[in-house]
Amino acid sequence: MTDTLLRLHQNSYYFFSIVLFIIGFHTMLTHNNLIKKIIGMNIMDTSIFLFFVAIGYVRGGRAPILEPGAGHAYINPLPSALILTGIVVAVSVTAYALSLVVKLYRHYGTIDAEEIMRLRGGETL
Amino acid sequence: MSAAAHLPALTVVVPLFFAYLMPLLARWRKSWCAATTLAVLAFTFFSSLYLANRVMSSGPFVYHMGGWAPPWGIEFYVDYLAVFTALTISGIGLPVIVYGIKDLPHELKEGVLGWYYTLYLLLMASMLGMALTNDLFNLFVFVEICAIASCAIISIKESRECVEAAFKYLVLSAVGSGCLLLAIALIYMVTGHLNFTFLAATLPGVMAVYPKNILAALALLMVGLGVKAALFPLHVWLPDAHSSAPSPSSAVLSGLVIKIYAVAMIKLLYKVFPATFAGMAPVMAMLLWMSTLAIIIGSMFAIVQEDIKKMLAYSSIAQIGYVFLGVGLASHNALLGGILHIFNHAMMKAMLFLAAGAFIYATGVRKLSQLKGIGVTMPVPAGAFAIGAMAMVGIPVTNGFWSKWYLALGALDAGKPLFAAVVLVSSLLNGIYYLPIIVNAFFSKPEGAVAKPGRLPAVMTGTLVVLGAGCIIFGIFPSLVLGLVSRATRLLLGL
Repeated sequence: MTDTLLRLHQNSYYFFSIVLFIIGFHTMLTHNNLIKKIIGMNIMDTSIFLFFVAIGYVRGGRAPILEPGAGHAYINPLPSALILTGIVVAVSVTAYALSLVVKLYRHYGTIDAEEIMRLRGGETL
Repeated sequence: MSAAAHLPALTVVVPLFFAYLMPLLARWRKSWCAATTLAVLAFTFFSSLYLANRVMSSGPFVYHMGGWAPPWGIEFYVDYLAVFTALTISGIGLPVIVYGIKDLPHELKEGVLGWYYTLYLLLMASMLGMALTNDLFNLFVFVEICAIASCAIISIKESRECVEAAFKYLVLSAVGSGCLLLAIALIYMVTGHLNFTFLAATLPGVMAVYPKNILAALALLMVGLGVKAALFPLHVWLPDAHSSAPSPSSAVLSGLVIKIYAVAMIKLLYKVFPATFAGMAPVMAMLLWMSTLAIIIGSMFAIVQEDIKKMLAYSSIAQIGYVFLGVGLASHNALLGGILHIFNHAMMKAMLFLAAGAFIYATGVRKLSQLKGIGVTMPVPAGAFAIGAMAMVGIPVTNGFWSKWYLALGALDAGKPLFAAVVLVSSLLNGIYYLPIIVNAFFSKPEGAVAKPGRLPAVMTGTLVVLGAGCIIFGIFPSLVLGLVSRATRLLLGL
C-alpha cells in the first residue's frame, strides 16, 4: 500500500495529467454547451502537454543553458520544444472552433447542441 | 547540392509558401490566384514524378532537413509508398482544382476565393508532408495542418450545414489529434526517439521492458488515425462533412484526405511496429473486422440515401474499408490491392463527386429521385458518373476491378476466404445503389430542372473527361502503377 502510494507520488505528474485528460474528455463529450465543449478540448490538450513536458523533466535539473565548468544536471529540452509547437496548434484549433461557434450562433441564435439539433430536426451535433 | 537534391523538401515547402502568399495575391491581382495555384500543383506533380523516377531507378533515399542527420534532425524518407502517395495526391489534386476554377465562384462568396486557394494548397502541402516524412512529431504537425485545413475547406461555404459539419469534424478530429499526441508522448518516453527508423530499431528491445506503454501507444494511434480516416465505428463525422462541402472540397476530402491517414497507419504498422506487436495484440484481426463492418454497413447506409453527395460520402466509408482490409490481411496481394485502391478510389471518387457537382451546378438538383433522365440532357457528366459507378462496382476494364481483384486474391493467399466473399458481397451492394442511378439517368424521361440544365463550362467537362479516361486507362493498363505499388508492398512486408 505505502509502496503504491510512494510510486504514485513519484509519478504524480503522469497521474494528474491522466486525471485532467479524463476531465477534459468528459467535459467535451457530456456538455451540450458548445463553448464548454471547446473548454473541455483545451483541458484535454493541456493535460497532454503536461504529460509530454513531464517526460523531459529530470529531478533537480536546470534549464539547458550550458555554462562552462558548471556540472549541473539539465532537463531534456526536446519535449518542451515540441510542446511549444503543440500549444500553437491548440491555440489555432481553439480560435477556429470559437469562430465556428460564432457562425453557429448567428445561424441558430443558440450555442446549445441539443437546441440546435431540435431546430434542425435531425441528427446530433 | 543542386536544386534537384532538395526536391523532397521543395515538394512540401513550395505549396506551403504559396498558400500564405495567396491572400496577398487575391488583394493585388485577383486573376492570378488560380493560375498560381495550378502552377504550384503542377510543380508538385512533376517533382513527385521526378522523385518516383529516381526511386524506381536507384532505390529509396533519405533527405535530411537542413543537413542535420537524425536522431537530431527531421528526416524525409522517399520510398516507393511515399512517391506513390505523393503522385496520387498531386495527380488528383491538379484536375480537381482545374474544375474548381469554374465551380468555386458559383458556390462561394466573392471575397473568400483567395482564401480557398490558401486552404487547398495547405491541404496539399500537409498531405505531401505526411506521405514523405519519417518523423513522428513532424507527422503530427502535418496531421494538424491537414485537420484544420480540411475543416476550413468545408466551413468556407458558410451555410448552416457546412458550419455544423465542420464543427463536428473539428471536435472529433481534435480528439483524434489528442490521442495521437499522447501516443507520441508514450513512445518517446520509453524509446527517446521520434524517427521511424530509429524507433523500429529500438522498439523490440523496449517492448520487453515497457509492454504496457507500447500497447497503450498503439491503441491511441489506432484511435487517433482511425477517427481521421473514418474507419467504421469512428466515421460519424464523415457523411455530413463530405456532403455539405463545396464539390471540389468533397472530391479532395473523400478522395485523398481520408486516405492519407490510412497511409500514415500503414507506415506506422509496417515500418515502426512490425517486430513489436506480433503476438502482443491482435491489431491486424481488429483492423480486418472493423474494415469488414465498414464495407458492409457503409454500403447499406449508402443504399438508403436520397442525397447524391451523401450517398457518395457513405460509399467512401465503405471504400476506406477496402484499404484497411488490405492492411489487415497483410499478404502481398492484399496489401497491394489496398494500396492500389488508395489511388484508384481517389480517382473514381473525385470524379463521382465532381460529376455530382456538375449536376448540381447545372440543375441545382441534389435528390437522386429527381435526377432521372440526366444522362439525356447532360451526357458527359452522366457518362463520367457511369464510368465511376462501374469502377466502384469493380467491373473489368475499369481501375476499380484491379484493386478488388488483388484484395480477393490476397484474402485467398492469407487463407481467409471469408474476406474474399466480403469483397464480392460488397461489389453486389455497390451495384445495388449505383446501377439504378445510371439506369434512371440514361433511360428515363428528363423532367423539371433536369430537362433544361444550365450550360456547363468546358473546363469542368474537360476535367471529367480526363478523370474518366484515367479510370479506363488504368483499368486496361494497370501495369502503369502496379510496378510501383508492388515494390512498395515488397518493401513494407520485407519480401
